[in-house]
Amino acid sequence: MPAPEHSAVRPPRTAGSLNEVTIQVFVMLALLVVLVAVTGLMDRNFFQPISLRSVSRDVAILGLLALGQAVVIIGGGIDLSSGSLVSFFGVLVMVLLGKDCDCSLATTMCVVVVLAILVGLAHGLLICRLALQPFLVTLCSLLIFRGLSRVLSGDSTLLFDAGEHPLLAALGGGTLGGLPIPLYILAAAMIPLGFFLHFTVSGRYLFALGNSLEAARFSGIRVTALRVFSYVVCAVLAALAALLEAGSVGSVTPSTAGIAYEMYAITAAVLGGCALGGGQGSLIGVVAGAAILRLLRSTVIFSNLSVYWTFTVTGLVLLAAVIADALVKRYRESR
Amino acid sequence: MPIDQREPLLRLRGISKNFPGVRALDGVSFTLAAGEVVALVGENGAGKSTLIKILGGIHQPDAGQTFLDGHPVAIPSARVALNLGIHIIHQELNLADNLNIAENIFLGKQPSRGPRWFQLTHQAELHRRAAELLERLGLNDSTHRLVRYLSLGQRQLVEIAKALSTQARIVVFDEPTSSLSAPEAQRLMRLIEQLRAGGVGVLYISHRLDEVAQLADRVVVLRDGQLAGELTKDEIDTRRIVSLMVGRQLLPQPAKRARAAGTVALKVSNLCYRGAPEPVSFEIGQGEIVGFAGLVGAGRTRLARALFGIGPSQSGSIEIGGRTVRIRGPRDAIAAGLFLVPEDRKAQGLFLQASLAVNISVAALPGLGRCGLLNRRAESALAGRQIDSLGIRAASANQKVAQLSGGNQQKTVLARWLALRPRVLILDEPTRGIDVGAKGDIYALLSQLADQGVGVMMISSDLAEVVAVSDRVIVMRDRRLTGELANGQITQEAIMHLAIGST
Repeated sequence: MPAPEHSAVRPPRTAGSLNEVTIQVFVMLALLVVLVAVTGLMDRNFFQPISLRSVSRDVAILGLLALGQAVVIIGGGIDLSSGSLVSFFGVLVMVLLGKDCDCSLATTMCVVVVLAILVGLAHGLLICRLALQPFLVTLCSLLIFRGLSRVLSGDSTLLFDAGEHPLLAALGGGTLGGLPIPLYILAAAMIPLGFFLHFTVSGRYLFALGNSLEAARFSGIRVTALRVFSYVVCAVLAALAALLEAGSVGSVTPSTAGIAYEMYAITAAVLGGCALGGGQGSLIGVVAGAAILRLLRSTVIFSNLSVYWTFTVTGLVLLAAVIADALVKRYRESR
Repeated sequence: MPIDQREPLLRLRGISKNFPGVRALDGVSFTLAAGEVVALVGENGAGKSTLIKILGGIHQPDAGQTFLDGHPVAIPSARVALNLGIHIIHQELNLADNLNIAENIFLGKQPSRGPRWFQLTHQAELHRRAAELLERLGLNDSTHRLVRYLSLGQRQLVEIAKALSTQARIVVFDEPTSSLSAPEAQRLMRLIEQLRAGGVGVLYISHRLDEVAQLADRVVVLRDGQLAGELTKDEIDTRRIVSLMVGRQLLPQPAKRARAAGTVALKVSNLCYRGAPEPVSFEIGQGEIVGFAGLVGAGRTRLARALFGIGPSQSGSIEIGGRTVRIRGPRDAIAAGLFLVPEDRKAQGLFLQASLAVNISVAALPGLGRCGLLNRRAESALAGRQIDSLGIRAASANQKVAQLSGGNQQKTVLARWLALRPRVLILDEPTRGIDVGAKGDIYALLSQLADQGVGVMMISSDLAEVVAVSDRVIVMRDRRLTGELANGQITQEAIMHLAIGST
């Protein structure tokens, strides 16, 4: 017998129940506070300004990469190329500013941004027009740009003279009002992106098409334009991260710069509430995720464990988060 | 194996199967003897597929028993079905494209050699036995050929070879000729006769009633999950089959209103879309509900998609409300006021993981706010209005659409388009898989829309529904418009004859 219509709809359990993403963001922020407290208790030196500044600078750079990754993941894609792009654009900055080219910082930045836009366009168009898988297209880029970076530099570490380019050194390594400048840049990136994702129609459409590409097409959403846009954002933010990293470190080693950063970025996005299937996520959560990742490293170091434990601990934390998420979902669905 | 002479090879008794909201099979009983060809016919959704899946061990019946040679058997899995000698040749063939013919025939049961813990395929034996089977079937092809390179008809022969290789006692064909050329179909007929002569029981499912009449020893007709009747060899006749298929069904008859033939809402002239053998022309008036009937695969969905701008390029012209429009994509269609409620509600219609409000407002968003900004207040007001006016039952507008019932999900898709004032609304199988109550609501809604002057194109495979709801019916077969019925001519029999192509 057909079931009566209303029986399939459950009555609300809690008035105005929070959605899953919001809960996850709060959990991550809480975890962040706990990590800061635990690390500080283990070693008071953690609270030294110099230590806090270095941690927050790293968080800002990783945060930029994670933001770009999050935009792509929300739209149902993935971008594995960001780590290699950090190396490639880092080398490019060094070469352009170096003796042979002697470009100004403004020219250098323009070239880098334009190239990043082109890389993002290429990713997006290959994925949308030729219907290639995002994983494969960006995996190819991961290899291509790591290789280009080593070719371009002759596989040697490139340095830049902070005296000649004080602005770049300041962008990456300077502070303003006691806070590292990259943190301001992270904020400057978060505000327009957050506005786009949560307050514009196109942002809503990005979530929608991440949720179901088919249904988005059948609803008249400009699917291709939005997906391409997401890859462009990701590539440009990777270039920005490369610029800051080069400025703060003062040198770029092409074979190791940005290595595995795409994995950190994906991890941060997932910790921050992005569903890898797309259609879900929050920028605040993603930045919290990036901060947790960097803090775990500090926690490991300040707890007198060997720094080599960092990867293992990070993996275990992500695994715990994924398991917790799955259990929560199962519990909710069983009710 | 000793066979009880009084018991048929296969006997089904009182088989019932329910799915959420649908009674797919209701106490179906019939028999199949060794060396007999029984045709199983019925409308789309009559329960044929469910019955086959039960025989093949894919579904478990809620009630009823299956007897093989008079002994009750349980078929808990596809493997057990194969072991019992029941071989099903599905419409979408189950072959591994990347393997060769011989490997496909003996998939999972390859002749092997070597010790138990390290078995190797006995290649020579494999190909010898495969070649033997191909010869019996008259397929002249190397057993080393990859299945990827075979035509549909040849693939079907490989499937039959699979059945022969397992010494199947019952072979079920699910619409085997629907995608075959005429000579391939003829060869298949001869093969089925061979199987019959070899003492195999054949269950044959087809919409092509001429084939059924040619081949079957007996016809079993299903309707709405029940046995509608059986015809013996000398009773078989397309007219009788159709009348059994259609029956006289009790349906909530929406009051038919006399609608003044208004101006034209949609005029399609010489439209070519992918797979159409000839251009298509038709009109839908304002305030008119036109039912599009036909068998599955008759081209109705493709036509609807072409009109909505999904699918490859097209030629011909489309006029909406008297203005010629060029539709290059869904955005053009939407801008012109032509909306599609797609066939696959879950994949194409809904953002399942998003909330009810998001699903309803998605197409209306650009019109709600200024400069591309979201207007959350207007959005939630719109969602609330639509939920009330369509009677969508949900805990709140924030509930995930995945948690709603089929009927409420369909109303959600409708709510999205109705928020935008449609001129032409195309609905593809709008009531498939939803319960009677919601069906009634949707019929009422269509009536109401028509009264407001919307041109409605309703694709449906449910004949009773087409008859009850439509002001006019267009029937399609093999991607052509084969007939048009108006007013008094609209009967299920008339539609079925046009859809099947019998006269």
